[in-house]
Amino acid sequence: MSDSNLDNTPNMSNRKIFELIGSAAVDSSAARLGKLSLPGKKVIDTPNFFAVTSRGAVPHLTPDNLTRHTSVNGLYMALEDFIEKKEPPVYQTPGSETSRRLHKFTALPSENISILGPRRSPAVTTPYGNTPKAMTVFTCTGFRSVTVPEYASAVQLLQPDIVLPMAELPHTSTTPSSKKLIRMAERTEVWLDEFLMRLSSSKAPEALGSSVFAPVLPVEYPIQWDYLRHLSEDVLDKIEGLAVYGTNLLPELVNYPPLTPLPKLSMDPPKTPHEVLRQISLGIDICTVGFANSTSDAGVAMTFSFPPPSVDGVQPLGINMWSPEHNVAVVPLVEGCPCYTCTKHHQAYLHHLLNAKEMLGWNLLQIHNHHVIDQFFAGIRETLAKGGQAAFEEAARKFTAAYEPVLPEGTGARPRARGYHFKSEASADRINKPAWVDLDKEASAQIASLAPEPDSRDEVVAVVDVEAAAAALSIS
Amino acid sequence: MASNVYSAPALTFELIAKCSTTRARASILTLPHGPVQLPVFMPVATQASLKGITPEQLEDTGCRLCLNNTYHLGLKPGQEVLDAVGGAHKLQGWNHNLLTDSGGFQMVSLLKLATITEEGVRFLSPHDGSPMLLTPEHSIDLQNTIGSDIMMQLDDVLVTTSPDKARMREAMERSVRWLDRCIAAHKNPDRQNLFCIIQGGLDLDMRRECCREMLARDTPGIAIGGLSGGEAKADYCRVVETCTALLPDLKPRYVMGIGYPEDLIVSVALGADMFDCVWPTRTARFGNAITKRGVLNIRNSKYATDFGPIEPGCGCMCCREGEDGMGITRAYIHHNASKETVAAHLLTIHNVWYQLQLMREIRQSIVEDRFPAYIREFFAGLYEDKTQYPEWAVDALKMVGVDLTI
Repeated sequence: MSDSNLDNTPNMSNRKIFELIGSAAVDSSAARLGKLSLPGKKVIDTPNFFAVTSRGAVPHLTPDNLTRHTSVNGLYMALEDFIEKKEPPVYQTPGSETSRRLHKFTALPSENISILGPRRSPAVTTPYGNTPKAMTVFTCTGFRSVTVPEYASAVQLLQPDIVLPMAELPHTSTTPSSKKLIRMAERTEVWLDEFLMRLSSSKAPEALGSSVFAPVLPVEYPIQWDYLRHLSEDVLDKIEGLAVYGTNLLPELVNYPPLTPLPKLSMDPPKTPHEVLRQISLGIDICTVGFANSTSDAGVAMTFSFPPPSVDGVQPLGINMWSPEHNVAVVPLVEGCPCYTCTKHHQAYLHHLLNAKEMLGWNLLQIHNHHVIDQFFAGIRETLAKGGQAAFEEAARKFTAAYEPVLPEGTGARPRARGYHFKSEASADRINKPAWVDLDKEASAQIASLAPEPDSRDEVVAVVDVEAAAAALSIS
Repeated sequence: MASNVYSAPALTFELIAKCSTTRARASILTLPHGPVQLPVFMPVATQASLKGITPEQLEDTGCRLCLNNTYHLGLKPGQEVLDAVGGAHKLQGWNHNLLTDSGGFQMVSLLKLATITEEGVRFLSPHDGSPMLLTPEHSIDLQNTIGSDIMMQLDDVLVTTSPDKARMREAMERSVRWLDRCIAAHKNPDRQNLFCIIQGGLDLDMRRECCREMLARDTPGIAIGGLSGGEAKADYCRVVETCTALLPDLKPRYVMGIGYPEDLIVSVALGADMFDCVWPTRTARFGNAITKRGVLNIRNSKYATDFGPIEPGCGCMCCREGEDGMGITRAYIHHNASKETVAAHLLTIHNVWYQLQLMREIRQSIVEDRFPAYIREFFAGLYEDKTQYPEWAVDALKMVGVDLTI
């Protein structure tokens, strides 16, 4: 490739990051095999998944545990998790020609893929919607807005491997008026064009550019057909993938053959493996699996596999590790599972850790659950490779029949929720249980009434630690 | 047998080197789950988990002996579960050594209305408020079930600052009687060590008397207890100095509840070998990093754009860069401190490493007989000039022949 060639294609579309495998390639709306090869990264076989981070970290997993004990390839990060300060420190990370600032700031190993979008997945609803010029985001200190130029310069500084441009998504209402829907498509197109224009006018070195995955909106085809046409005809050379916010729309994409070879990242967060299978059968190549995090926080260990084992009866998708039946079970969370948690620890320990509110419990569940998901996707790829779409659809049907529709709910307390995790609402129940109660007011009477009469020759030693005593009392 | 080795059924203690100036010693304590280099700091995994980090990550810091708390394990998961699982090593997947306290300290420090009688500690169950009794026999039974490599006797703990001399004497004498009961109740002397605990408050004569009584019972190791409870540091040092003067060379000496770096280095100079404290791991969760230049609160806004490691030159997983390290910056810890648990985990790894590395450096300097010079370097790192050195430390070190003022 000559230099002049590069000049003509400022957004590096001469390089091909995605390759489809097999005959399925022609049909964009079916399960398919592929390879995603980003520069400097390990090739990722698809279908596959990206983990979802909170403030740049896969919840509970230190970078060494992530590297040593999971096979997570890519991490989704949200700009809103980094910009609560007026001059966000993340922008000041020392960069170099070989390291990306977002990687450096979050201590993400360079072989991992970073995916940057404006908002968390799933995003907290903002009190007001976007404006023509700016998107409303939620930082840990409150709401603020981000304009397209701001976002574009953030991307140029942070250099994520993959970037999702700003998209106008439904705000509070799940059934917005048609006027609003039309505006969503129009605004997204304007924002996308401005974003692409700003990226291509930059002088950033080619080697560390970001692949743009253009948004596909969660609105009906008649409303965004022209926007999709714009993607497939006008800006195709500047985009390298699609970020699909509404997977229901996938069948309509057959109308745009030029979009078919692009890798499709689902930003329509699946809540169960069943939804993952559905998205894959509609042609999604990579899923973001935020439900791994919420399942671990719930104290649930995933137990499903693909293709499903042939056993009688409907199987649960996971085990609630809070359940007392595990308290002496010196067996892996899943028999035969080769993950760190299952080979080094056992159900009894997991149960104890949750019960004792020890943070290690969530840590070990994250390792196990991400492993189960990794194996689930490996099973999907293997099925597709061996038997093609028909075999996949058959196995997916069996999976639906073999497993319960939803993951079990954990029966204990989750990790403490932070301000950026949710938006508090008037008269809502407290999200976090109070860590202590006023022992002297509420509980001392209760304790005193249970106390035996002290032996007359005994000395009373009463050293009071309110917090510890109250924590102990909360058990009762 | 060599004159520098002591053997008991479940441990051997090999004295490797003695400082020619201070009372500091370097030794190898071989326990049922492997050797431990002394002097040592033991991190506290209260509920069979070192706050958020995996046993593998703890192992990577070089830790070969950590604590569990008997009281907490007795509540959760409880003795029945421990029995069914096969002990605490198996529960937490830790193949190195464990030390457990007796549970007595938590009884009086955590619980309202605990009363101490000759029989034991009477308290109200935190589960249902029903009256319960912890006797020396119960404590040992529970520690036998836990299977710790080192068990502690149940002692009558009193705050050292208590003015009641008669009560202090009673506590000391009772602790001796309870040791006899603990020894009698101990079912696994071939694979678990039972250490005595010297009591006697700040009264040096009472401490001496207690030392004599406890030594007569010939436990494989000796702890100095009842300290770290708010007494003046100078008083603390006098007690440790008094006790170590009476203790045999060839047994490990454990000072309970000590963990500030300055306290560790001075206590080693006074002749102690083993220490534990929750402070390094607790303070990590508050966003504090322990360094050679003191404790840094990484939540301070000045660290928001500090892209250096937690401590330059530190060898922990967090601070190391490249293939075998994480390359964590202060800015990243600041970004997630008090927000994502990961920041707490990272500082926990760093702080545990710091404490263990400090002890490794101390040990190496004792072996090479340059410990006094190491003490000087250590204090010079913490303070700008000598006038800022804490008086208690200067005085304590003078007692053992190191004058920091010259």
